[in-house]
Amino acid sequence: MVQTLYDFKRDLSKRGIFLSFSGPISQDLMVEMGATLKQKMKLEDASKSSVLRVFAMVVENAQNIIHYSAEKYPRKKQNEKACGGEDPVKCCESEELSLGIITVGYEEGYYFVLCGNMIENEKVKGLKEKLSKLQGMNKDELKQFYKAQRKQKPDKTSKGGGLGFIEMARKASRPIEFDFKKIDEDLSFFSVKIII
Amino acid sequence: MEKLIIGATNYTPEICLDPDSSRISVKGKSYPENTAEFYSPVLNWLENYLDNAHSDSLTISFDVSYFNSSSSKVFLDLFDMFEAEADKGKTIIVNWIYDKNDKDNLEFGEEFQEDYATLKFNLIQKESEEDPFAN
Repeated sequence: MVQTLYDFKRDLSKRGIFLSFSGPISQDLMVEMGATLKQKMKLEDASKSSVLRVFAMVVENAQNIIHYSAEKYPRKKQNEKACGGEDPVKCCESEELSLGIITVGYEEGYYFVLCGNMIENEKVKGLKEKLSKLQGMNKDELKQFYKAQRKQKPDKTSKGGGLGFIEMARKASRPIEFDFKKIDEDLSFFSVKIII
Repeated sequence: MEKLIIGATNYTPEICLDPDSSRISVKGKSYPENTAEFYSPVLNWLENYLDNAHSDSLTISFDVSYFNSSSSKVFLDLFDMFEAEADKGKTIIVNWIYDKNDKDNLEFGEEFQEDYATLKFNLIQKESEEDPFAN
């Protein structure tokens, strides 16, 4: 493996990716990635609005992974011990880590954010419909949809406001690209690319 | 009623709720992992305050350089509460402060303004901070 790491690095570069992380994603990690990303873009003389938009996309995607990734690292044993095993479910929840991939790159004059995570197969249909709907909307329709959606009471499955993708679609310079790859009976890999 | 002051972190704003001056300010960045949990003491305080306040005006300052989409939903909940007060005859002033190089933030302010006609919005431009990229 040690002989092929360079190939991996070169493969990322070929795709235009200059920042990447794959593994357990936490709020703190995202904050630090965001800070380094801003610093890097500043050195490239990117405009303030591009920096903020790319940063916002990383935050929304990272928080989507934290909240919705089907690939978790529960560290069950330690937690049961830590809280006396009284309420293992609750104890695991706070310590649970979500896995996913976050990358940021630059191609053909545009920054992009490309992210992915595992999701449950039964959620694929709904998410696909939602994203396809966004792809077909122009900026004004997106604005109206955003406002209407913001007023809705959050549904039970949504831990955020359900607004993340709409906001991303509004700030992107092209329609959001996405893909679902079925992995097995339970899970699919969801990937999404936003061009800023 | 006691003042409520919440200190800022890298990803949560400083919040100051002052019943004596009828002023509320939110300043910094807002992208907590669990937005509802972070803002719940603020919403509780406000509910309590609005039920008991005798002042006929309230000023809210938002100087938030970045907020995630779930924070924007909470801001809407706050505006809903303020709108209900405005409907009762209270004067509610919202100072929406944005960096002059951040058009997106101005747009957010404008969109809140469009949705809440009974609140008096002031969209206030400020100069870029010395290091606008500082975290």
